Amino acid sequence: MSSQKKMNFQIEAFKHRVVVDPKYAEKTWKILEHAIHEIYNHNASGLSFEELYRNAYNMVLHKFGEKLYSGLVSTMTSHLKDIAMSVEASQGALFLEELDRKWTEHNKALQMIRDILMYMDRTFIPSTHKTPVHELGLNLWRDNIVHTIKIQMRLKDTLLELVQRERGGDVINRGLMRNVVKMLMDLGSSVYQEDFEKPFLVVSADFYRGESQLFIESCDCGEYLKKAEKRLNEEIERVSHYMDAKSEVKITNVVEKEMIESQMNRLVQMENSGLINMLVDDKYEDLGRMYNLFRRVPNGLSLIRDVMTSHIRETGKQLVTDPERLKDPVDFVQRLLDERDKHDKIINLAFNNDKMFQNALNSSFEYFINLNTRSPEFISLFVDDKLRKGLKGVSEEDVEIVLDKVMMLFRYLQEKDIFEKYYKQHLAKRLLSNKSVSEDAERSLILKLKTECGYQFTSKLEGMFTDMKTSDDTMKGFYAAVGHELGDGPTLGVHVLTTGSWPTQSTTTCNLPSEILTVCSKFKSYYLGTHSGRRLTWQTNMGSADIKATFGRGQKHELNVSTYQMCVLMLFNSGDGLSYTEIEQATEIPSLDLKRCLQSLACAKGKNVLRKEPMSKDIGEDDTFYFNDKFASKFYKVKIGTVVAQKESEPEKQETRQRVEEDRKPQIEAAIVRIMKARRVLDHNNIVAEVTKQLQTRFLPNPVVIKKRIESLIEREFLERDKDDRKLYRYLA
Amino acid sequence: MPRVSKRKSDAVKSSEPAPKKVTKEVERIDSFFASYANTSIGMIDPEGVEKLCSDLCVEHTDVRVLMLAWKMDAKKQGYFTQDEWRMGLKSLHADTIKKLKKQLSELQKEVAKKENFEDFYRFSFRYCLTEDKQKNLDIETACVLLSLVLGPDFNLQVDSFIEFLKIQKEYKVINMDQWTNFYRFCQEIEFPDLKNYDDCLAWPIILDNFVDWLREKSTSA
Repeated sequence: MSSQKKMNFQIEAFKHRVVVDPKYAEKTWKILEHAIHEIYNHNASGLSFEELYRNAYNMVLHKFGEKLYSGLVSTMTSHLKDIAMSVEASQGALFLEELDRKWTEHNKALQMIRDILMYMDRTFIPSTHKTPVHELGLNLWRDNIVHTIKIQMRLKDTLLELVQRERGGDVINRGLMRNVVKMLMDLGSSVYQEDFEKPFLVVSADFYRGESQLFIESCDCGEYLKKAEKRLNEEIERVSHYMDAKSEVKITNVVEKEMIESQMNRLVQMENSGLINMLVDDKYEDLGRMYNLFRRVPNGLSLIRDVMTSHIRETGKQLVTDPERLKDPVDFVQRLLDERDKHDKIINLAFNNDKMFQNALNSSFEYFINLNTRSPEFISLFVDDKLRKGLKGVSEEDVEIVLDKVMMLFRYLQEKDIFEKYYKQHLAKRLLSNKSVSEDAERSLILKLKTECGYQFTSKLEGMFTDMKTSDDTMKGFYAAVGHELGDGPTLGVHVLTTGSWPTQSTTTCNLPSEILTVCSKFKSYYLGTHSGRRLTWQTNMGSADIKATFGRGQKHELNVSTYQMCVLMLFNSGDGLSYTEIEQATEIPSLDLKRCLQSLACAKGKNVLRKEPMSKDIGEDDTFYFNDKFASKFYKVKIGTVVAQKESEPEKQETRQRVEEDRKPQIEAAIVRIMKARRVLDHNNIVAEVTKQLQTRFLPNPVVIKKRIESLIEREFLERDKDDRKLYRYLA
Repeated sequence: MPRVSKRKSDAVKSSEPAPKKVTKEVERIDSFFASYANTSIGMIDPEGVEKLCSDLCVEHTDVRVLMLAWKMDAKKQGYFTQDEWRMGLKSLHADTIKKLKKQLSELQKEVAKKENFEDFYRFSFRYCLTEDKQKNLDIETACVLLSLVLGPDFNLQVDSFIEFLKIQKEYKVINMDQWTNFYRFCQEIEFPDLKNYDDCLAWPIILDNFVDWLREKSTSA
């Protein structure tokens, strides 16, 4: 409270009511009405915005909003009716242009009107829940122009016809299209959909149905796909130019359905150009196109996958059962690898490395590789060939690539234990004849097998390598200790093989020449002197010898032969013209081996150091053999040995398979016992499933064989049947 | 006819028997035994068994002889020891040939009882294993035995199975497990339609093969 009095300004409210002239409202409205007319007649420049705004403001303020609003509605409506007539009257192509122009003008007018009536928009309209001016303007346009009977139909037909012409290759006025379509969008999504989009989709569906029929009759698969892709891209581009973006997926669905989905099967199966032909001819581009198109439709990719799978299975099956192919195992396996590479490349380049297809490829290969029971043997022979000579001079990385490919095929095998058996045999031959191209490569493969199958698979193989090394050391020790005693005798090389690690061979009889016997027995006593408690048996069927021979005209050659062949040839030092029987008696080599041995000495061109009478191809028991004085060869060193790994003959194959089957029995039994010991009680089906699972890295056990083993275990009282439940077995501790 | 006192000892079977009467029975059983026994070995030998059978008016291949052996729990085929004899005949209450003959039909009824038949069936297999440590029965004997033991009740299955056993080459002998399961087969599986045979269950392989053979026969027929 200050003592000083200040003059405060106070504005007091009107003390008396302002009476508005009743004609005031009418007068004001007339001004505004006039303004609207002027606006629509493009005479807006003469108007004063401020004055009009104030007039509108006052009307609302003095509670004449209703009059203003309804006046607006009727004025605008009458203008729009005029516009409608003008649009209807326009001919042909001018129809759209007129519509577009009038629309643009209307929007401009609407904006101005809205600005003028902004006060009403903000106050009167919300409180009375009436439609705001802008929206009102759109609705009126819609109702008085677009949805009039004449215009509505004509508009739709015009738009669709233009789209059709564009599809036919004509160039149309896209800007105009865009504007008109945008007009429909602005009028509301239901207007857009009902007046344009829905009919558009229906017409398009019909069109593409026709297109697909036409193309499918006249094009091959690749061409059809090209056309379909083109159409699809066109539609997408069309939408981006003059339609609502939401329409894109709808029209693409139509195209996909009519052009792809409905013709899927026919395309894939098309003769001479369908999927299978594309696969065979490596048509990456076409396949890629097919992949991209088919993935858009339900079941498209699975259709491709299924057809591809059955094709691969079929070709694979033919490959593995073709007797011609089976004559050369190495070629056979190479073909398998080529097939896989080919399809791998297709999946890579055309199918986007899609896992679904990778799986289909793998399962197909697994299926047909196991159709041929010799696949394990052949794969081992392939590896053998590579490790002998195929990988000579190849870089380390390339070696790895080849071995990895082999491992891939190995994984497909169900009978891995058969592979193991052959691999061991072939490895033994490679090691003993020192024919392995690279020890690193050998070791690398064994490591890969170990990673794949576990330590047990490869422990014996590694044992073989160890034996070779140990033998080297033993030989050094032998010569150091006893070398001075040997004098001029033949130089001996011995590999001492641990029985469990190497493939089992039955020992055969063979009488070694005396010079050999002497040095061999010296070795034996040396070895047993340093290793007590061991037993040595000479494996005469696995050895080799280098002997120098002098022929008729003094020509000398060094012959590389097997031990058997050496025994036979040494006989000719003390005699000539020996009969088969004499040779057989002297050497005591089993007859089958002896015949093979003599055949390679006497009947092979370029290596016939012996001459046979009669000169037939086969060895008969009445034949006589002579030293071939006339033997000639370009090379000083001649190789006649027969220790190369070969495809087994039928009886040998049967024997190997039998041995493997025998080996499997204890493995199955061990698995059964292991499982039953843990579970105590288990039903039949579960035992079979568990056993199969446990053995799957080695082979696929036959359920009947499993049952037999169970019965055998019951007989030996390891298991018993449950007395009450037929399905159960019990473990007997 | 036996006297009152014997009947009384019948009634008080489970409690302590009147020793004098029982030993009288034992005596009679022993002398019954002695009339057939081969004194040098102290057992009834095959010859004695044959004589017994003819006195009983049954063939010595009759199933009732087998049942008798079961009752005695005889260990060796063709021979009865004194202990076996005593045990068997005492429980049959047959101390004379006439009584024994009469009891044979009772015995048959007893064996036919469900709880006994399986035991009898298994026994008959073991009984035919003549060698020490023998575990399997050759096909020939098995067929005869099957006929004898199961023939009356399951003659369709038995005849069929015997035919199969003679044709098939995989098995030369039958073991106890297969033997026992054949009985279960007869009991559980509908014959001859074999509708409820499931070879994924734990039936022995020989029966799987039997069913396969039957099914093949019926489709080709």
